Amino acid sequence: MPQTPKLPAPRPQANVMLSRVAHSLYWMSRYIERAENIARLLEVNLQFILDFRGYDDAHLREHWGSILASSGDQELFDKHYESADSRSVTEFFAFDLRNTNSILSCVFAARENARMIRDQISVEMWETINELYLFMKSRSTADVWAAGPYEFFQDIKRNSHLFQGLTDSTYSRSEGWEFIQFGKFVERANKTARILDVKYHILLPSAGDVGGALDTAQWQAVLRSASALEAYRRFYVREILPWKVAEFLIFSDSFPRSIHFCAAQIDEFLRRILGESGARPRTEAARASRRLLADLQSLTIDEVLKDGLHEFLVEIATSLEKISEEVVQTTMFYQAESTQEEQQLQQQQ
Amino acid sequence: MSLLSNPYDPGDFFDEMYSGGGEVRPHYRSLVERLGTLPLPEFERRRAAVDLAFLRRGVTFTVYNDSEGTERIFPFDLIPRIIPAKEWSRLEAGLIQRITALNLFLHDLYHKQKIIKDGVIPAAQILSAKHFRREFMNFAVPHDIYVHICGTDLIRDRDGNYLVLEDNLRCPSGVSYMMENRAAMRRAFPNLFQSYGVRPVEGYPEMLLKSLLHIAPVRDEKPSVVLMTPGVYNSAYFEHCFLARQMGIPIVEGRDLLVQDARVYMRTTAGLLPVDVVYRRIDDDFLDPSVFRPDSMLGVPGLVAAYRAGNVALANSIGTGVADDKVIYAYVPKVIKYYLDQEPILPNVNTYLASEPADRKFILENMAKLVVKSANEAGGYGMLIGPASSKEEVAEFRAKVAANPRNFIAQDPVNLSRSPTWCENRLEGRHIDLRPYVLCGEKTVVTPGGLTRVALRKGSLVVNSSQGGGSKDTWVLAGDK
Amino acid sequence: MLISLLHRTTFVYAGKAHDSFNEVRLRPVDDAGQACRSFELRTEPASNLREYMDFYGNTVHYFDVAEGHDRLMIEALSEVETTPNAARPPVPEVSTLGSGSEREMVAEFLADSHYVPLDVEVWKEAKDALSGGRSDVWSDVRAICGHVFRKFAYKPRSTGVATLATDAIRLRSGVCQDFAHVALGMCRCSDIAARYASGYFMRSQRKHDDDEASHAWIEAYVQGYGWAAFDPTHDRPADERYVKVASGRDYADIRPVSGTYRGGKTRSLNVEVKVREAEAADASR
Repeated sequence: MPQTPKLPAPRPQANVMLSRVAHSLYWMSRYIERAENIARLLEVNLQFILDFRGYDDAHLREHWGSILASSGDQELFDKHYESADSRSVTEFFAFDLRNTNSILSCVFAARENARMIRDQISVEMWETINELYLFMKSRSTADVWAAGPYEFFQDIKRNSHLFQGLTDSTYSRSEGWEFIQFGKFVERANKTARILDVKYHILLPSAGDVGGALDTAQWQAVLRSASALEAYRRFYVREILPWKVAEFLIFSDSFPRSIHFCAAQIDEFLRRILGESGARPRTEAARASRRLLADLQSLTIDEVLKDGLHEFLVEIATSLEKISEEVVQTTMFYQAESTQEEQQLQQQQ
Repeated sequence: MSLLSNPYDPGDFFDEMYSGGGEVRPHYRSLVERLGTLPLPEFERRRAAVDLAFLRRGVTFTVYNDSEGTERIFPFDLIPRIIPAKEWSRLEAGLIQRITALNLFLHDLYHKQKIIKDGVIPAAQILSAKHFRREFMNFAVPHDIYVHICGTDLIRDRDGNYLVLEDNLRCPSGVSYMMENRAAMRRAFPNLFQSYGVRPVEGYPEMLLKSLLHIAPVRDEKPSVVLMTPGVYNSAYFEHCFLARQMGIPIVEGRDLLVQDARVYMRTTAGLLPVDVVYRRIDDDFLDPSVFRPDSMLGVPGLVAAYRAGNVALANSIGTGVADDKVIYAYVPKVIKYYLDQEPILPNVNTYLASEPADRKFILENMAKLVVKSANEAGGYGMLIGPASSKEEVAEFRAKVAANPRNFIAQDPVNLSRSPTWCENRLEGRHIDLRPYVLCGEKTVVTPGGLTRVALRKGSLVVNSSQGGGSKDTWVLAGDK
Repeated sequence: MLISLLHRTTFVYAGKAHDSFNEVRLRPVDDAGQACRSFELRTEPASNLREYMDFYGNTVHYFDVAEGHDRLMIEALSEVETTPNAARPPVPEVSTLGSGSEREMVAEFLADSHYVPLDVEVWKEAKDALSGGRSDVWSDVRAICGHVFRKFAYKPRSTGVATLATDAIRLRSGVCQDFAHVALGMCRCSDIAARYASGYFMRSQRKHDDDEASHAWIEAYVQGYGWAAFDPTHDRPADERYVKVASGRDYADIRPVSGTYRGGKTRSLNVEVKVREAEAADASR
């Protein structure tokens, strides 16, 4: 029998949270956040390409290639599409159900999870997800192109923000709330790390391009993907420098999309979920979270750049994966088993 | 212009409010006075407000027939059904007598079977009952209570006598509507409600919880009770959530529970928590794939084993369906006599059994004049109302009965009583029934009132929600006013 | 006769199985024909065994194995002393059941059951067997079983665990389970209450590598006597070489091992049965 973790005395009956419900809340939250992040990423990059007239074909392919690489879906894309251009990439990331990381797939999954726990979430929350789903279902790439992608992505972001706002105002601050927030920040930290990594690692400029107009524009796009351009400017005022962008997106403790900010939230909610109230963490997940947070609180960008930004970001992604997986295993463990759709079988003689 | 401007003629039916010749029964007089002074637009306004409230609160049920399974509001009529105290105390006594006898009956059927050995009921009727569970033989149940929650449907005949139409001993539903209806009436007519002295029904969830705790296995810790639902796609899901929330207990699906070493646990974020009592709203067939239907994804493998080992209690127990089989229904007066040595306080509707040769002949010959029912269908399905059916429908049903007589009973049609109901723009009489809820725990308690269901379609006798029925609030008075 | 029995069932799974819930009917009964001197049941992986008595008076053991396992072994060892043939009273000549309370008590065994639907083919077969005219219950049972013995071929693998009596009648072949089902149907159509008996049969001459397995026969209700056992597969009454484990309407009521589990689909099932005459000295354990 799988070990049940040694946790403090369970809460009174009525506040018992079923693993299945926690699982659905967690994934509903992650999928909405993911959908929003994909929308933002697509929007910014489409805009970037429209704006930057100095892009030749090779650069264009490379640009879209980097986006595909960042999502890890290059192989899948190549299987179904001839070449990477604005339309095919939009199709792949917005509407393609074969891509589990497309906006439609994510919205669909979020809605399914929400439906399973409908009696747990407020009517408004459900209606918002449902509307987002119906909205996505009613659009196609052709529509988006005809009407202009900007509006389309704005709608998605608006709906996601509405959902998060409603959750904020209508969902009681209970154990369910903790799972929702935990899922959201894990997803967000992950995405920010990826956005940064793409530019640094994959879109490495040749020597001649560094600091050039293209390079700067790309860094601007990175900031805009994280809705961080204005905040960055307020903080740094002057020009956009790569190492400053990295510093901002990794270490800022006030910008809500920075990895540090997210890690602090993750740590807080994780401790509540696992009932970690003591000074010294008892579970592996809490330990890993504490270490991650400590790094983000104390390291400097120079140290990180010296040892390799890419390696650093990969390590963060790995830590996040490990932390979230362990929370899932500990609190939502059995749910994972039953989603494998194992058959209930008869045996007799 | 008020609601009562054109009182309708009760006609050939017992009317709850009008006793004939424009006369109003004593316990309705205050209501009539109040409604008389209420302008129509005001009444309409209150009606709309109640409907809107139901919609927003999601007081719905899902209709199985539709391919998509649409959610509907259960239509609610503002005119209450009123029962004076003296009338109610007789009903109460009759219901308690009946459920007491049925629990003794079930215990006997699943143990010594004396009632069969003494020739009161033929063995064949029991053994061929669809819901007789052989797997449950010789099973010990806590306090020998098999039915913890019972919904017995009552009707009134032309002379106003109450008759038992059927018992519901498996997963009776509708109690949430009873409570929502009461809340709606309080909001719509606060003063009237106050002045009438209506006995409250709000105590139901607490009494239900008490009955559930009563059967918990004796342990050191406080017993853990859960409500088990088939899930969001079940037509009564709203009620499941409602009751669980009112009682302050978790609502779980089969996949949230697991059995290890014959003990039941709940999968929670805090680990596996033990479960002592399961209020299950799932039919026996789907309860445990290792004992009943193996393809059921709604149940918990090993639940019956845990029950058998005495480590968990179920409400209602397994196998209660044998006693609400419509054929067995016909024997209930004998059952009451056999176990309690008493005449039934509440009589049955006169019933003919197609499995008995003499009755079968009568049924087949007179089908057009009878109400014929299949032994195990619910919700008004599998039923033929002879006088209201076409020749083809009657012929079709006759063939079904001839092919499988054990499965059918017939009854003389009863002129169901009627109650004034708001029909678009005037009050008209519509047929009603009554489902009071009986709880068996340390004591047997009947909730004062219950769900009055009304057949909204003109002339219709079918009151079920899925077939055009609605409901009313039921007022049991503290006095006889 | 003192008989020692081994019944070992092994399921092997492709991958792992878990949350396995099972019921077994493996304990020999105690009745006029036999006394169960010892019974041991164990499983691998180990489990907590609990028991109850079912509707037909069979002893049922139930257990669960929650954790993942790649095989499940269930082993029953027992020693049974059967009443010697000389000590068994003869079956009286009695006519079929009248109406009345005795008929009520065996009503189950006169009606349709899952494996034995009383369809037209079964009626026909019964008529054929009793074409010489009706006699007393026991004589008719012998006639019916003799008919089955002669007219049906014992062919392993011609039928399966799901074969109904009506299928077997059409195939004109089967194994002991099918012979029993067919005989039951014919008895019931002839107003003779009869039930399925499962257990083991000890062969007097056993070749070294003979396939041993569970055996099935029938028991017919004879008023004033009780249940009289007859084996249609061998066309003889069940005697001291027969050890009974369970009875019911048909195979569905007596399954030796039955349950559900979660896990991989494919698996293999191996059943090992050993029926031996035990030395009297072995009895003292």
